Amino acid sequence: MGKSLILISKRPEDQAFATEVAMAAGLTLERAGDPREGAQKIASNEDIAIVLADTSDQAQYQALEAAIQETVGLFSDRINSNCFHFISSESLENVQYLIQSPIFGHYILRNYGDNIQRSGQHYGRIVKATLQDRAFGLQTLMKPGTKVQVVKLAQSSQKHDAVEAIKNYLVSAKFQSRMATVVANAVDELLMNAIFDAPVDDMGKHIYSSTPRTTLLKLEDKSAVEMHIGFDGEYVGVTAVDKYGSLDKAKLLSHISKIYTEEEYKVKTTVAGAGIGLATVFRSGGSFFFVSESRVSTEVTVFFRRTDNYREFKDQFRFISTQFYF
Amino acid sequence: MVNVVKEQKGSALVVRLSGSIEESVNFEQLIGAPAPEMNIHCKEVPRINSVGVKSWIKYFQSAQQKGSKLRFYECSTAIVEQINLISNFICGGTVESIYVPFSCTNCKSELIGQFRTEDLRKLQLKLPQLKCTKCGGSAVFDDIEEEYFAFLNR
Repeated sequence: MGKSLILISKRPEDQAFATEVAMAAGLTLERAGDPREGAQKIASNEDIAIVLADTSDQAQYQALEAAIQETVGLFSDRINSNCFHFISSESLENVQYLIQSPIFGHYILRNYGDNIQRSGQHYGRIVKATLQDRAFGLQTLMKPGTKVQVVKLAQSSQKHDAVEAIKNYLVSAKFQSRMATVVANAVDELLMNAIFDAPVDDMGKHIYSSTPRTTLLKLEDKSAVEMHIGFDGEYVGVTAVDKYGSLDKAKLLSHISKIYTEEEYKVKTTVAGAGIGLATVFRSGGSFFFVSESRVSTEVTVFFRRTDNYREFKDQFRFISTQFYF
Repeated sequence: MVNVVKEQKGSALVVRLSGSIEESVNFEQLIGAPAPEMNIHCKEVPRINSVGVKSWIKYFQSAQQKGSKLRFYECSTAIVEQINLISNFICGGTVESIYVPFSCTNCKSELIGQFRTEDLRKLQLKLPQLKCTKCGGSAVFDDIEEEYFAFLNR
């Protein structure tokens, strides 16, 4: 018997989703009725690959955290945050208990759409990639056979052309122009982060935090930035690659879950970035896969599914997946 | 790159923006000192990135603090999305009219229709169907109503 996926949920839609994920990832599906039973399975089985858990409310999450703590421990060799996949019907901003969780790895918005098989298989490919030694490479996240193009940016001023090229490519791939614009904006944010936010000095201090985003930077050697793009006929995936491996999970989750629909956005003049790009992308229908190896490399991939209309596009199945190596 | 066309109409400075609003935009240079009354037209703004949003808020917030009366006209779908996502995006101004996205149920073409916000309130979100300019089919609203029109309830 191979590695297992433990599903801790009583919801039929989660079971249908987990079945597809397990199949696509090559895992055996095991069900647990509650967090305690799930934690016991983790403690007694060394071949647990991932845990998919219904964490729709804080009480459910707390029960899971307590059960894990009492059995294998929150920071054990047996299982770590990269293996926990939290499912919730709640918007990201309403699940701060997940964002602040010491075992946060992945957040899945329970909005599987009218085709659970498609959503499950898409997510299954992400899970399969996370089971490898290192989950780098857009190729591993897309359907087998998807052609991935690599664009190397030589200087920061090329970002604009790269973003426009993505938009034109998607329009030619029959994305509505509004969808293409949303994806292009997402890529703009990813590249801007890779160019200006990723670079750190030996002490880990961000070099360009207050440098205007119009500054011309050469992107060579350690500062090299690449953009990878693949379209498998359903999903487009675009990755921004940097060579710093400086992504900070807590800061990332804080930014991505912050919304300003009630609270005012305050302009910070001490930093050049805006801090709202990724949150906007997620709310526009995009899913994220962040993979970072400390001081080696970071790859941030955004996925969007091409749909017949914008309403479906914005309301599509989505997730935030993180994979950190230290 | 954004282009700005300015025109004084009566007591108001009419500002027409066109192009993507990105990090290179400098509203202080492009528009100049805020006028007491400003009518900002955003029909031709297809995209605004996060640093563009920051520059936008910085400029129009400063205008608001100096007493400018801000009115936003012909807001593109990209601008409407920001109005909905960021509570202070219009910096105390008013949204006079917006573009509403439609999609043809027959040929899937994208269309936009301009609506005055006053009329949208009267319609109570019961939008009329448009006739597709390409195939003559019927075009229906193509976004999530409670999200796209959220700003009307603020």
